[in-house]
Amino acid sequence: MKYLITIIFLFLTSNSLISADERPTTDQQEMYQSIIQEVRCLVCQNQSIAESNADLAKDLRAQILDQVIAGKTKYEIKNYLLDRYGDFVLYQPVFSEKTLFLWISPIILLILIVGWYRKISN
Amino acid sequence: MKRYLPIIFFLVLFISLLKSLFQDEMDIPSPLIGKNMPSFSLTRLGENTTVTDQDILGEVALINVWATWCVGCKEEHQLLLSLAEEPSIKLPIIGINWKDQDQLAIQWLDELGNPYQEILSDPIGNTAIDFGVYGAPESFLIDRDGFIRYKHIGPLTLPIWINEIQPLIEELKQ
Repeated sequence: MKYLITIIFLFLTSNSLISADERPTTDQQEMYQSIIQEVRCLVCQNQSIAESNADLAKDLRAQILDQVIAGKTKYEIKNYLLDRYGDFVLYQPVFSEKTLFLWISPIILLILIVGWYRKISN
Repeated sequence: MKRYLPIIFFLVLFISLLKSLFQDEMDIPSPLIGKNMPSFSLTRLGENTTVTDQDILGEVALINVWATWCVGCKEEHQLLLSLAEEPSIKLPIIGINWKDQDQLAIQWLDELGNPYQEILSDPIGNTAIDFGVYGAPESFLIDRDGFIRYKHIGPLTLPIWINEIQPLIEELKQ
């Protein structure tokens, strides 16, 4: 019983050591989780940094958590990563000159298929 | 013409897929090339003095990110030493000791020789993140004004030095 009280006491005090503004709110936690799932771990390229145990993934997670707590937006944090690691770091490709074809190719394909369909049904 | 359309379509797809098969996946182009190097303030390895990005301006320099736990760093070490010892090559090599222990790093340099003019210690790795480092060794060529001109991921080799870095240095020094 004595031990239990000590443990509870230690738990409570250790918790209170973290000041209130250092702890992420529920919203921030959700945002943090959604960001780390979209960021590619460059050391082990088929994992997100949420899944990876690589040292760099841990560092980046810590960086992102710090920035989320500091009140940065998702857009700002993604830009922070893009500035350093380039387009490849995000799983969802950004819309730019280089990825223009990637983004519009489904539309082109759709137009072609509709055209072809109309032709054969005539 | 119309008859050949599927064949043309097939060939285009085939060639583009074949090309990506031989692409080096680790070679990710850095968005930092052509940009100013990130600002930093780091302590000298084993000392209490600090060095900032402003301190290394004025000369074309090579920034080399290394660690004692990194196998590739040992591979390129001999080349770095010969670059540092060759009097005709006036290229300061600045080492950033990444996520390492100072004691191990000092011991490593004592045993293998020290090619670095300055060694900065980055135990937490924040400066390395600012440089977009994801695997040591990585090397950056910085021009006089502090712009990043070239980046190499992985150990430096003599062919890379002769074919890529040396011509670029000569160009930058003009």
